[in-house]
Amino acid sequence: MKELLRIENLHASIGGKEILKGVNLVINEGEVHAIMGPNGAGKSTLSAVLTGNPAYEVTAGEVWLKGENLLEMEPEVRARAGVFLSFQYPVEIPGVSMTNFMRTALNEKRAYEGKEPLSAKEFLGLMREKKKLLELPDKLNNRSVNEGFSGGEKKKNEIFQMAMLEPCLAILDETDSGLDIDALRIVAEGVNRLKTPQNASIVITHYQRLLDYIVPDFVHVLADGKIVKTGDKTLALELEEKGYEGLQG
Amino acid sequence: MKVSKGDIFERVFVNEPEVDLQIEQQAGSRVKIVVVNFASGTNRITIEQLGEGCETEIYALAYLHNDEAVTTETHVKHAVGGGTSNQLVKFVLDDHSRGRFIGDLKIVKDAQQTEAHQTNRNLLLSEEAEMRTQPQLEIYADDVKATHGASTGQLDESALFYMQQRGIDKQKARQLLVGAFMKDVLNTISDETLREQLLNTIDGVVE
Repeated sequence: MKELLRIENLHASIGGKEILKGVNLVINEGEVHAIMGPNGAGKSTLSAVLTGNPAYEVTAGEVWLKGENLLEMEPEVRARAGVFLSFQYPVEIPGVSMTNFMRTALNEKRAYEGKEPLSAKEFLGLMREKKKLLELPDKLNNRSVNEGFSGGEKKKNEIFQMAMLEPCLAILDETDSGLDIDALRIVAEGVNRLKTPQNASIVITHYQRLLDYIVPDFVHVLADGKIVKTGDKTLALELEEKGYEGLQG
Repeated sequence: MKVSKGDIFERVFVNEPEVDLQIEQQAGSRVKIVVVNFASGTNRITIEQLGEGCETEIYALAYLHNDEAVTTETHVKHAVGGGTSNQLVKFVLDDHSRGRFIGDLKIVKDAQQTEAHQTNRNLLLSEEAEMRTQPQLEIYADDVKATHGASTGQLDESALFYMQQRGIDKQKARQLLVGAFMKDVLNTISDETLREQLLNTIDGVVE
């Protein structure tokens, strides 16, 4: 199996406070890794650090994406190299249409890969095809990015963008939060259909519920900035039953 | 100048170093002024509604660099009731540039049933840029609908990061956000050719 991501002894802080205290994790192509843990354990910090959010400082450790030093890349280069974050709180961008936003993003990625930009016709055709996957309405194109979207629409829109950009590593940060059961099913089916033997995902979640739909190969428990336990999907069920305290005790 | 009863007067000023307009509106007339500055300039727009049911619209946009400066002054007076006025004034200030908005809005005692809105929004792209906003509202009538708002801020860092996370480089992301901020003023221009031309320029102007 081919290695996609390697995290070694990762330490990170925000505002001088250390949140990640030595995370180690190897992800191979084709794998789904769930990261669970109590609030404040560092789950969202991990996704922020992997994507290069400037609010966080990496104080020690290394991260390699397909053998390249991820931490040295600008956030946009990480994205073009195939790291995608489905945001826990997708940002509203008034005045920037979904079409303009998505077309700019996709063409930047294609340029990075040495490909020609898509024509307007090809691009709109692709938008139409991928929107169907998420059961998103056609009128989406002219709306500003996430502006006035419901909670469910925002999460679907994240997975729609993932479908457009076809990342090699997708990080889903609490994608299940705020979703009703129908939206959850659509989002999870979208994610499952995007799975290939060459890509991988990190599913960050607080609850077992999402993992009924997106079945992980590995479940890691992150507590106080470190991965304290790793198991298969049954670990998630065990956590649901006993809670995080039960596990540590 | 006078805008006669029921007439429509519309003017767009682009990059004029000095705009000085004094307009008296008669009943049922409609005035729309759009002022766009990509370099230094002073704008003084004085409009008085002298008849019932007038409509006044003032839209102003300045996007400045280096040590450029723009002062935009509006003096809108509702001397008779039943009219509306709407003002949207935006500044985007980079480098050491300076912007100043003086918004003087007066509704006299007998100008009942007036509806007046004044909004000033400013975007600072540099720590050295400076914006001064001086709204002056004098409302003497009691049966009116009047709103006023002013705000000055920076580009939304979370929006920038969101766009970068989708592979859009930081400069391009800034360009999209600044363009989005300016668009609503330019979209008020009725002349489609001029509007499209200006919308295209803002893509080029943003570094």
